[in-house]
Amino acid sequence: MIQRNFWRDNAALLGVVLILVVLGVVGYTSMGQTAFVRTTLSGLTLGALFFMVAAGLTLIFGLMDVLNFAHGAMFMLGAYLGWQFFTNPTFLFGLAPLILALLAGLLLAPLFVWLFGKVELPEAVQKSLPGLLGLAGILVVFFAARGLDILDLAKTAMVAAMTAADPLAEASPQEALSIFWLRTAGMFIAGALLAVATSRPGDKTRTVHPDQVRRALIGSAVMVVITILATLYREAAPRAVLMWDANLRFFAALLVGALLGAGIGGAIEITLIRPLYVRPIYQVIVTLGLAYVLREVIQLLWQPLAYQMSRPPLFSQPGKAENIFEWFRTSSVTVDVLGVTFPSYRLFIILLGVLMLVALALLMNYTRLGMVIRAGVQDRQVVEALGINVQRVFTLVFMLGAGLAALGGIGAAPFIPVQPNMGDAFQLQAFIVVVIGGMGSYGGAAIGALLLGLARAFGDYLALKYSLSPAIAEASTVIIMAIVLLVRPAGLFGRKE
Amino acid sequence: MDSENILEVESIHTFIGQFHILEGVSLQVPRGSITVLLGRNGAGKTTTLKSILGLTPPREGVVRFDGVEIQGKPAYEIAAMGIGYVPEHRAIFRNLSVAENLKIAERKKGDLDRKADFIFNLFPDLKRLYRLPGNHLSGGQQQMLAVARALVADNKLLLIDEPSEGLAPILIEQMMEAIRSLSATTTVLLVEQNFIMASQLAENYYILDDGKTVHQGKMADLVQDKELIHRMLGTAVRSGGAG
Repeated sequence: MIQRNFWRDNAALLGVVLILVVLGVVGYTSMGQTAFVRTTLSGLTLGALFFMVAAGLTLIFGLMDVLNFAHGAMFMLGAYLGWQFFTNPTFLFGLAPLILALLAGLLLAPLFVWLFGKVELPEAVQKSLPGLLGLAGILVVFFAARGLDILDLAKTAMVAAMTAADPLAEASPQEALSIFWLRTAGMFIAGALLAVATSRPGDKTRTVHPDQVRRALIGSAVMVVITILATLYREAAPRAVLMWDANLRFFAALLVGALLGAGIGGAIEITLIRPLYVRPIYQVIVTLGLAYVLREVIQLLWQPLAYQMSRPPLFSQPGKAENIFEWFRTSSVTVDVLGVTFPSYRLFIILLGVLMLVALALLMNYTRLGMVIRAGVQDRQVVEALGINVQRVFTLVFMLGAGLAALGGIGAAPFIPVQPNMGDAFQLQAFIVVVIGGMGSYGGAAIGALLLGLARAFGDYLALKYSLSPAIAEASTVIIMAIVLLVRPAGLFGRKE
Repeated sequence: MDSENILEVESIHTFIGQFHILEGVSLQVPRGSITVLLGRNGAGKTTTLKSILGLTPPREGVVRFDGVEIQGKPAYEIAAMGIGYVPEHRAIFRNLSVAENLKIAERKKGDLDRKADFIFNLFPDLKRLYRLPGNHLSGGQQQMLAVARALVADNKLLLIDEPSEGLAPILIEQMMEAIRSLSATTTVLLVEQNFIMASQLAENYYILDDGKTVHQGKMADLVQDKELIHRMLGTAVRSGGAG
């Protein structure tokens, strides 16, 4: 008879819990309550951030076999985007119309497949046309963006963050709308040219359903309308956002940053990762290179400096709340937790991490997308053979992972410096988390993140207490990885293949 | 459009990496029949199924399903046209429950509700196991689940790869019964090493050797030709192939 064996099935989880409980009791008695609680909370904060980076990494690797070395860069991008939106979104709103216009053009791709699919072209022309059109598209982008003072636009927030008094006073006047319309139109044409290039005119093997053409036209039209609105309001919108309540602006920044991160992730998957599924090694190199490029672009825009994003008022009122409930009333900067004074913002990060874990668990267990992802982690081919477009699921998972990492970045921005290489350490730790938890298991990533976060925090505590090198905390994570791999080579929740 | 054959494969060539696996496979599957692909290990039977489905797209040749050329289309589009696939080695999703394994095969909402009675009628065990994770199933139960999964959506053609592999004799009987009853409503292209099972189920046969179709005909004629069976399949056929 088939029986579920609870103890055997959950051996890894039970083992981890047991070890944590034993270590907890030992730590509690030897460290005393105050030090123990504070160190544990620090560990949980770190663990929550590790989880948000590692969750996407493990899903992307489990499903797509892509080692995404640009994942830390997504964390960093998220921090910058959120910081920009929170302090002065002039840059984001100034650039948005151009990107939206490009997208509106690109969305037309199915239309061009339909229009030019049946055209008779000499083979030589057919071969060289996509390349030439693509080049033309890039040239048009170049001319459309030429002379636009992006750097000045980027600096507004930087200066605003420094002077802090009146962000609007420092905002540099933007160029006339009449010129900007030309840029927007140029970007739309560039997008359309690139779309024609990808449609490969004259290639008769490309087929497109009339429904797809109709959807593309509707999508593009909607995007054009949004572009026009974004162009009209590119100066008014950031001012309006800055008038918002700062708390609202902060939560909007979390959302905007996560969505933009997901969007950038989707663009990366479609343009860089997708063509290379047959060459996995190249994917590693591409993502590694991309991480450098993103970092350099950020440095170009905002200098290789470290910024501090201020905490929203909800977590920065002077004083200390005696407990969580009092904090709801006072919004104090610190809260008393079991006798320990702890920053309320860090408690929020722990909550954010837990919420993301719950959301991910719901997504994975109770939606069709989650079911397809779990199935795809095990066997992509069979999922495809059931009539499911696995490619589209790949893109969604990449977007999900990038969005989560970006969200982690914004969450971290108010208490770690926002700088171009802020994602590197998190990426390294996240890779260790993924290995410990088992490739492809988000639950494993949660446990691994918890372990590493606690190890870092307690390692730091021990190093401080016994005047050891702080490197001991960093080494401890690798030691944990080695031990886990010795006991379970596939990671705690990895598949035994 | 409504041709006699639901599937026509014309001299397809398939490469896996640098290896030229299929070097001209042609076959026709008449509607409402069971057709079996025979051949030694490595003859290209599984690759033929995967080439039809687009999982290993053929580099040359034509695959026509229901009168439409499908070679070169992505696998998910081909499958969505109405082809069900039962992969070899009972490739069910072990980390999904039995219910999810069936649910994931839905192409329209409510597919599973509509087909549930039919499926449980065919494989009564699955009803009892419905909530269990796939990795708690025995080999035979997994194989039944793999077949059941291909029945959830409305498929005009089923590609079934080695359904009897590693099954106990009593389960082979049950599996044969199920596949036979399927052919009343759909068409089956079967890959089967177990010649006894193949000979009892199929009306038509194709023999593959070194990536080429080398023989074809009616199963009734093949079972008489013991010499050919022995030469092509290396099977010691007991009692005229019908045991």
